[in-house]
Amino acid sequence: MAGPLEGVRIVEMGQLIAIPSAMKWMADMGAQVIRLESVQRLESYRTDSLYHNEVDGEFWNRGANFYEQNRNKLGLTLDLSRDEGREVLRDLIAVTDVFAENFTPRVIRNFGLEYADLCEIRPDIIMVSSTGYGFEGPWANFGATGPATEGAAGLAYITGYRDGGPVMSEIPFTDYTAGEHTVAAVMLALMHRLNTGQGQFIDVSQTQTCSATIPEALLDWTVNGRVPERIGNEDPAMSPHGCYPCAGDDRWIAIAVDSDEAWLGLCRVMGRADWAADARYADVLGRIRHRAELDKMLGFETRGHNNHELMSRLQAEGVAAGAVVDSEDLLFNEHLKERRFYEIVDHHEATGMPPLPYAGRPWKLSDTPSVPPKPAPIMGQHNRDILAGLLGRTDDDISALEEAQIIGYSPLSPRGVRRPSLDEQVRQGRMQRYDTDYATRVAEWFGTGQ
Amino acid sequence: MSNGALAGVKVIDLTHHIAGPYATKLLADFGADVLKIERPGGDPARRLPPFYHDEPGSEKSLSFLYLNTNKRSITLNLKSEPGRSILMDLLADADAVVENFAPRVMPSLGLDLDTLRQHNPKLVIASVSNFGQTGPWRDFRATEIVEYALGGLMYIFGAYDREPLKHALHQAQFKAGTNLASGTLMALYHQRLTGQGQQVDVSIQESIASALRDVTNNYTYTGAVRRRQPNHTGDLTRLRAISDGYVLPNPGMGATLDWKVLVDFLEAPELDDERFDNASARLENAEALGDILDQIFAAKQKQEIFYAAHQKRFIYGVIDSPEETLDNPQIQARGYYVPVEHPDLGEITFPGAPFLMSGSPWAVTDAAPRLGEHTGAVLGDLGYSAQDLAWLRASEVI
Repeated sequence: MAGPLEGVRIVEMGQLIAIPSAMKWMADMGAQVIRLESVQRLESYRTDSLYHNEVDGEFWNRGANFYEQNRNKLGLTLDLSRDEGREVLRDLIAVTDVFAENFTPRVIRNFGLEYADLCEIRPDIIMVSSTGYGFEGPWANFGATGPATEGAAGLAYITGYRDGGPVMSEIPFTDYTAGEHTVAAVMLALMHRLNTGQGQFIDVSQTQTCSATIPEALLDWTVNGRVPERIGNEDPAMSPHGCYPCAGDDRWIAIAVDSDEAWLGLCRVMGRADWAADARYADVLGRIRHRAELDKMLGFETRGHNNHELMSRLQAEGVAAGAVVDSEDLLFNEHLKERRFYEIVDHHEATGMPPLPYAGRPWKLSDTPSVPPKPAPIMGQHNRDILAGLLGRTDDDISALEEAQIIGYSPLSPRGVRRPSLDEQVRQGRMQRYDTDYATRVAEWFGTGQ
Repeated sequence: MSNGALAGVKVIDLTHHIAGPYATKLLADFGADVLKIERPGGDPARRLPPFYHDEPGSEKSLSFLYLNTNKRSITLNLKSEPGRSILMDLLADADAVVENFAPRVMPSLGLDLDTLRQHNPKLVIASVSNFGQTGPWRDFRATEIVEYALGGLMYIFGAYDREPLKHALHQAQFKAGTNLASGTLMALYHQRLTGQGQQVDVSIQESIASALRDVTNNYTYTGAVRRRQPNHTGDLTRLRAISDGYVLPNPGMGATLDWKVLVDFLEAPELDDERFDNASARLENAEALGDILDQIFAAKQKQEIFYAAHQKRFIYGVIDSPEETLDNPQIQARGYYVPVEHPDLGEITFPGAPFLMSGSPWAVTDAAPRLGEHTGAVLGDLGYSAQDLAWLRASEVI
């Protein structure tokens, strides 16, 4: 069965994560997503984290992050700085339901792509803009990265170890928060259009979508005039609650004791009947009062255990516990395998890449699950399909566009990519370790052969 | 009727705590009719801190007040036969039912998928749970920190030489709630087109694992396992302490960086040094560079350097406290914080629209309901008399 969004066409002028992730999830669910890029400006995700770390040849078609974010989309290269390029886009808008972009408003205005401009071509269009601080307002044209909005929203400030400064995640966390809200927003607009026939403009501020997820802290300020202190992994209502060392190099387990029964379960697994018998720890208030000493004692006990085995034993006793999984643990995970969370995607033969697993979606729909996965487009892969098939351009028209480099199939000035070797990255501490037989291991686990 | 995008969509909300209620809040704030069904003691989120003026009470949890705007509340004991029967009446003409019990609970209440789908074929049955409705870990227990650990975000989060860390508060729950809203909306869209309902299964673990970068794909592409990053890597975009807080510098990306421009911008001639003027030299001398940058930034002032940077289109960021977010001119200009009138507590300043929709705007018209506030009215509409209600109350069904 096809996805629920079959029949919805989306033109995406996205970059990095905020819009591409959202449109990937909509493409998974059956929307036809046409992703614009240009041969004049090479998106950095095309050149990050290359397959086998090989930087030669058409490396721009082997970037991990580009494949991660652009599955199931069609690719069209278009130089929007020139009239001929914008004319193609106008023709495309005329047959499109949703236009999605995450450039700064300055760029969108320069290209004449504001909502009012699009409405002249397609009155019921839905346009969604995702920006760091919002499409309107004094900071509208300030560029932003994910971490910058994590800071502006108030999340970074309240996150961190008890004795230290703010800490932020090492991924563009709020880009995803925005992307997740963007899917909801576009779905709301599609529902509204079903009811009324009307399109609309959606203005996503990545700062606001992040602030929406920390109401406890924001309301504590607006109502009680209090700013929460940084408490690391502590929880105000649970103890023990934290991340404890395990056997091996950089191995950890997260444990959250949320009831007296869980506390007794923990004592049984750790073989510490004396803790269970100690009246000081018998109830949650006592355990919170003795939080520091409990954390220390527990960390001493966990040290000798394998984190996955300890998790299983704790779970069997009803204790909420989880191994702190690294890339390899996550990929080769029995539970996610049974749920078919990672999906195998074939790659274009020109890339020389084998089929590889990619993270799926955060939802599963029983009757309209998703379309069979197709890889992100290699550069310009669908130029002809879209121009001839969808817009009815003739071969001559298309050749003229190619000639003028309005469209193309490889970047005009690919900058060489320099990647430190894996040994170097391990030495610098950026990577924990690396395997050399990873291709075989991945192929075996996911049954893709070699 | 509301002019929100979901005008006319009827949702029966069995959720509690955070993830489920955030999903139904998103639906309610955009116009859906959301009826919250609480156990007789109420949603446990009513006991979540912080509280209004630090006064605990089932109507004073600020989390609860935020998560349940625009909803009506009835109490219903789903473990009782009459309670279930009332629920089935309510589900008969609903568009969606949303729940976040542990996966074995719904079937144990006689509310398994087959029964619900037979009862109302257009019903969207939306669930969020720790590990999803299937799989060997289905019944594992989890809290926020366990989801961070098993979702793959925690291992790469925090200081290089310390224990992995999680974000403050409940990011995993909110993430999953947002995803539940999206999944439900996709199923509702399909329902509007075909008349068919279906099941939506959202896993909190998968919500985290869907939103990573350079984690599993570092392994599948190169065999490398990423870890928490060291402090000094020659990276110029790390968070820095300044005289009045913290700032996130960003002097232009990668190869577009012109070192002389950066030296001038920071007014730091000591950086005009061949040890630092290209990426590989910076890597080589990361420690020395880090120490100098720490000193330079310690003398800067937040607003000044932020605006000066954006003059030059360096995309600096500010690290603002919750208090400071209210003074941010951009957040003010967009009217993000909004007053919500609560019948007992008066006016409270709430975080407002997560995104702006020009044609079907976000709106909070009603504060979160008191426990069971609408029980009488809703059951009255179903045809229960005052006498019936008295009997149901006496037998602890409502």
